Amino acid sequence: MAQEQLFMEGAVEKREPIPENVERQTMELNLGPQHPSTHGVFRAILTLEGETVVDVEPVIGYLHRNHEKIYETMQYPQIIPMTDRTDYLAPLTSELAYVLCVEKALGIEVPERGRILRIIFNEFQRILSHQLYAATFGMDIGAFTPFLYVFRDREKALDLMDRATGARLLFNYFRIGGLRNDVNEAWLEDFRAWIDNFEREGWPEYVRLLFENEIFRVRTKDIAVLPPDVAMAYGASGPVLRASGVRWDLRKAHPYLGYEEFDFDVPVGEKGDCYDRCMVRVMEMKESVRIIRQALDRLPDGPVLGKVPRGVMKLPKGDYYQTVDAPRGETGCYIVSDGGATPYRVKWRSPAFVHLQLLPYLCRGTKVADFIAILATLDPVFGEVDR
Amino acid sequence: MSGLSDVVRTAKSILTGHGITLKEFFREPVTVRYPQEKIEYPRGVRGIPSQKVNPETGDLNCTACGLCARACPVGVITVEAMVGPDGKKMQYPAKYELDYTRCLVCNLCVEACPFDALEMSDMTELSSFSSEDLVFDRDRLAEIWKRSHAARIAGGEKI
Ligand code: SF4
Ligand code: SF4
Repeated sequence: MAQEQLFMEGAVEKREPIPENVERQTMELNLGPQHPSTHGVFRAILTLEGETVVDVEPVIGYLHRNHEKIYETMQYPQIIPMTDRTDYLAPLTSELAYVLCVEKALGIEVPERGRILRIIFNEFQRILSHQLYAATFGMDIGAFTPFLYVFRDREKALDLMDRATGARLLFNYFRIGGLRNDVNEAWLEDFRAWIDNFEREGWPEYVRLLFENEIFRVRTKDIAVLPPDVAMAYGASGPVLRASGVRWDLRKAHPYLGYEEFDFDVPVGEKGDCYDRCMVRVMEMKESVRIIRQALDRLPDGPVLGKVPRGVMKLPKGDYYQTVDAPRGETGCYIVSDGGATPYRVKWRSPAFVHLQLLPYLCRGTKVADFIAILATLDPVFGEVDR
Repeated sequence: MSGLSDVVRTAKSILTGHGITLKEFFREPVTVRYPQEKIEYPRGVRGIPSQKVNPETGDLNCTACGLCARACPVGVITVEAMVGPDGKKMQYPAKYELDYTRCLVCNLCVEACPFDALEMSDMTELSSFSSEDLVFDRDRLAEIWKRSHAARIAGGEKI
């Protein structure tokens, strides 16, 4: 079969090949695995011609911990703390994908308060993840100050998480059937205060300091443009896809957790350049605040943990799939059960892994100084890429 | 002409940046100088799991049922029941070991314990030069419980 038929339009490169008789001198540059701005352990082999990137070969696997295979030896409730360690900057969304998948298989109902709290925490997690993104992206292109401002707010947010879940990074908070514990009124009050402060002071400050900065704009505008058809052909999702102008959000397209009851917009970019990929995430924080406010208003009283079958949890034979819209894109959890106490197979669909294959496409023809910026706009977390 | 407007815009962004930085001079510092000053941990923070001691008798609540060992995702808990003089197993642990080097601090053992015998302590500064020191036995876990604020958060209650 011809290559064009095998792949979607856009995935096949339409660029002119380099003429054979032209003599070119290229240099290979090894970046990583321990480069400070590669977000985890990631190695890229760049082929350079002068300062122009001709080709990129991403090398992954330095953070491989064999998650999917380990899951096969664990009982269903024991897997939840492990899912934290895939996307360690947004652990609650990975937990959510897994927990929803198991609940779907067993037909477990989550009480109303638990469901609304899950939405609140999930959106809070999105803000935290995008905050970190905004901070480190500034650092990657050489702006150190915004990092400190973001971390001032993030620190308080992590204290709130610490009070609610008992941990600052790997929360392990969702349980099959609900949440580990409820939050009290004092926590909700402090949480509201944080959200207000974030919306009034924090968020405008980051935008004025970094995203409206002229140097930042020049560094990111029209760099590494990703057309929508190419983005779709490569299977991009989340902010990377939305930056190219495709209004695709799983919370709207395949609602889970009852997101359809909430009123929020899906920000999209115009061109799909580095600047759009940043701004989409920045605007998403605002939308998350909107969702959180609506959820706080309708937070009912009641239990947060539903009825779960007693004894060792066993999923009926079959396969189950659940996707959620994580801060990085579409996180999916696929469980195959043979009826036993441990899953037969778990497959993790991680958005950052899929986005990483865009890297050669985006980087060809750009300058080497932009490489880190382009990598950062894909927002990869290597715990999730390598699993 | 665009060169001039570039200069103006850049100058404006620099001024905005300096304005925000200047504002920071008049705010309270948020830094905590960690080893000298410490932030108090909230109730329910997850440190190492610890063995609860009955304050009246001084005995452990643990009955050596082994449910925590089975709930642990990484299998770092070893429980052995005490054998009485008549050769029967007693409901008390002779050996209770927790290998903290591999513990995920995940709270699942606490949730599994039906006898209210395990609690998450707020002890986190446990580093040591040898990994053998990090295998905690029954008495050291009880000592940690006595010296720290421990809490059992397990079933969807309010904290
Ligand atoms: S906290 Fe988790 S990993 Fe540690 S002993 Fe308990 S169940 Fe095992
Ligand atoms: S700590 Fe609790 S669960 Fe573990 S052996 Fe003792 S009584 Fe059983």
